[in-house]
Amino acid sequence: MSSVRPDLIEKVTGRAEYITDLTVPGMLHGFVVRSPAVHARIVSIDTSAARSMDGVVDVLVGKDVASFGRWGVVLKDRPIIATDRVRYVGEPVAVVIAETIEIAENAAELVDIEYDELPRATTIQEAMAEDAPLIHERHENLQDFYFKGGAKPTQGSNIFHTYRSNVGDVDAAEAAAAYVHEDHFTFPAISHFAMEPHTVIADFKGDSLTVWAGAQTPTAVQKVLSRLFGLQLAKVRVIVPFVGGGFGGKASVKIEPLVAAASWKVQRAVRVAQSISDSMLTCRRLGADVTIRTAVDAKGRILAKSAKLLLDGGAYSDTGSAVATKSANRIIGPYAVPNLRLEASAIYTNTVPGAAFRSIGGPQAVWAKESHMDNVAAAIGMDPAEFRLKNLAARGERTRPDLRALDMDMSELMGRVTQSFASDSQASNRRPRGMAVAATDPANTPIANAIVRLKIDGSILVSVSSVEVGQGAHATMARIAAQTLKQPFSAVSTLRADTAVAPYDWGTGASRSTVVVGLSVENAALDAADQILDMVMDVWELPKESLSLVEGGVSTGSEVLTFHQIFHRTLGVDSGEVVGRGAITPRSKKGALAESPLFWETSAGLAEIVVDEDTGEIRVPRYASAADVGRVINRVAAEGQDEGAATMGFGHALYEQLEFEDGQPINATPIDYMIPRISDVPPVFDTILVENGDGPGPGGAKGMGEGAILPVAPAIANALFSAYGIRITDLPMTPEKVWRALQKRK
Amino acid sequence: MTYALPISFSLNGQATAIEVPTHTLLIDLIRDRLGLKGTKRSCDMEVCGACTVLLDGEPISSCTTLAVDVDRREVTTIEGVTPPDGLSRIQKAFVLHGGLQCGFCTPGFIMAVTALLKATPHPTDEEIRHYLHGNLCRCTGYTKIFVAVRSLAAGQVSEDAA
Repeated sequence: MSSVRPDLIEKVTGRAEYITDLTVPGMLHGFVVRSPAVHARIVSIDTSAARSMDGVVDVLVGKDVASFGRWGVVLKDRPIIATDRVRYVGEPVAVVIAETIEIAENAAELVDIEYDELPRATTIQEAMAEDAPLIHERHENLQDFYFKGGAKPTQGSNIFHTYRSNVGDVDAAEAAAAYVHEDHFTFPAISHFAMEPHTVIADFKGDSLTVWAGAQTPTAVQKVLSRLFGLQLAKVRVIVPFVGGGFGGKASVKIEPLVAAASWKVQRAVRVAQSISDSMLTCRRLGADVTIRTAVDAKGRILAKSAKLLLDGGAYSDTGSAVATKSANRIIGPYAVPNLRLEASAIYTNTVPGAAFRSIGGPQAVWAKESHMDNVAAAIGMDPAEFRLKNLAARGERTRPDLRALDMDMSELMGRVTQSFASDSQASNRRPRGMAVAATDPANTPIANAIVRLKIDGSILVSVSSVEVGQGAHATMARIAAQTLKQPFSAVSTLRADTAVAPYDWGTGASRSTVVVGLSVENAALDAADQILDMVMDVWELPKESLSLVEGGVSTGSEVLTFHQIFHRTLGVDSGEVVGRGAITPRSKKGALAESPLFWETSAGLAEIVVDEDTGEIRVPRYASAADVGRVINRVAAEGQDEGAATMGFGHALYEQLEFEDGQPINATPIDYMIPRISDVPPVFDTILVENGDGPGPGGAKGMGEGAILPVAPAIANALFSAYGIRITDLPMTPEKVWRALQKRK
Repeated sequence: MTYALPISFSLNGQATAIEVPTHTLLIDLIRDRLGLKGTKRSCDMEVCGACTVLLDGEPISSCTTLAVDVDRREVTTIEGVTPPDGLSRIQKAFVLHGGLQCGFCTPGFIMAVTALLKATPHPTDEEIRHYLHGNLCRCTGYTKIFVAVRSLAAGQVSEDAA
């Protein structure tokens, strides 16, 4: 098993260390007291009873840290802990810090907080109403802080970001069209439900701070903590062990400022280990309300598309503005549409803050656009696959002038999923089927650094800020270094992410690590190779062209010099290493990486469904998913990414929904919130990865892992529509909704 | 008032005697006091299976089992099914077939599959799905877990494979 991912061995044996397995000597335990109020003024907080309990060290409250001000990654809207006001149920109001977690939890019951309720806005509609209470009085944008650009808030409203994109003349196109069709869809809030809840250990020591966190973007955590507490970046160290699932829910910054503040208050290490219920109150996918309209000519060519997307951003913005922008881009799809009018807004509501989640804005947009495509096809009497094929943008064609030309052929993916069903003689051609496709533009910021160290014994250390969250990034980086340096995979180790060691990188997300960080590792390995070849050239006085790396050393053409021989003779002692450095910037590869997106993340899905007409329950006995990934680096891992993404799609298609009733979360526990189980996955599941070696990453790889979540819900809805003529427009497609629609049809 | 009771039980084949407060959960005893961190805490409500250990060979959730209830019984954790230098055939199958990603649910799955195959060496597809219904995984989509277990059911992975 010499070529298998080392992290898998550690994980199956239970030896892998996650943040929840770490202890820091002398650390205390924090328990977070959360707001039970939807929107309220904090009248008073009495911590005296909690403090008097044996084993309680201190209680952190808002007034302790109010002077540090607010933080954010796009809008500066967030207090470290609620100060004078709470904006959602679950907002941290106090942290009881004690010798043990039991004491902290028991003492938390004794923290007495008085609230004075304020008018609330708990849905998009309430928050957009003319007399809506303002959840934030003013909006402060942080330009170029986390993403290039920032948010465009509307002062004096709950709208914290609006993005518009117009191409051509939609009005003129609609006036000339043979047919115009408009639909309205909604998408619910979805919980990330990573198996490992958010957990952070923070250790403040004077002017330095060390944080252990299950964080996807350690450098963003470092930056926010540095600004917030006035610490030098170099004095803030963020260490990320194995992360027990992220999906975006551990990207940007979450509870790190809160735990750091608790440690600041007691000047000792403090650990806060959340429960899954706590994490369900920490962040979630943004719900959406989408109006989409398409104009077609008499031959079924799309002339214009307009869409208005309203995203429920919750009480704090986090990266919700980017989610909104991406939702507008992602509603275009792989189609050639000459006239576009796109508008997306992110809106504050008094609910759990929205956050990045696997393909930000993608599932919301694709649910609407691909359901809508079948509606338009039906309205003009055209087969939905034919309607799609007629309107696909070809490889090399742009779907919008400011986006990179498509680097794939969607008709190929559609053909592959269709063939997948056709190739099985067992497949029933009588069962309802539905298809959906997606092309999304990952926000894969081309900024990364890597260090590759080649040691005298031929062993290699790779240091990057990418975190190992299950996707296999560390093994991928090791494989790229091994291939570039012509050394065995087993010679390479990838260090866990640690900002004190690893060079700057934007973060782990948006399907960017294999391509962007991978290229920086390749560059670092080439730099290391160059240095070792230079040594041989200098010391042995040989022309560099005659030298090449081989396993264990350098070939001169006539002999192989081992790394031992090279270092020993060059340095005079029997030790040493070369340190290769690789960087990727928007200027790398003559600026070729700067155009957005770096690659298209694409997906086609075909679902076969069985509907129990008595109960409305939908089963999916068969599903095929195809993605163009450029090149597969690790087949099992790549397939697993798409299968996992598609299964998340089954969840939000059929039953997942984080529900709020007048702002109260009503199913934010692992008992009440259902995620897919092994018995829910289609027994026949075909994962097709198309490889043309044409991606920008090492060996022609593109990023992947997000695309397969996108077509699932609309493919199922389209199957339901084709067989029963019922169109579900609000997810999830629960048995009750389907049953009611079936009854209405009768 | 906290009462503590002395208990003695077998932990991964080793006789273990310890005094535990009566309200202590098995997961806390295993992880915090006995230092075996392979058993993972996730839902805390007996719905996710991440904390699965074997009690007298049967899978249970250690997050909702009182430590005093294992008195004079046999507890097996992930550490107890891991050979000293290598992997069990179940662990190998999960690695070979990619039946894990983040790995946080994996020890629970390995324990559940260990119990399944002991009781039913050649389970049917339906038996596999039924038995693993109580173990949640958010990463893999289960397809590769299913394939891994099916390969074991078919006897395709042996102790010294790979």
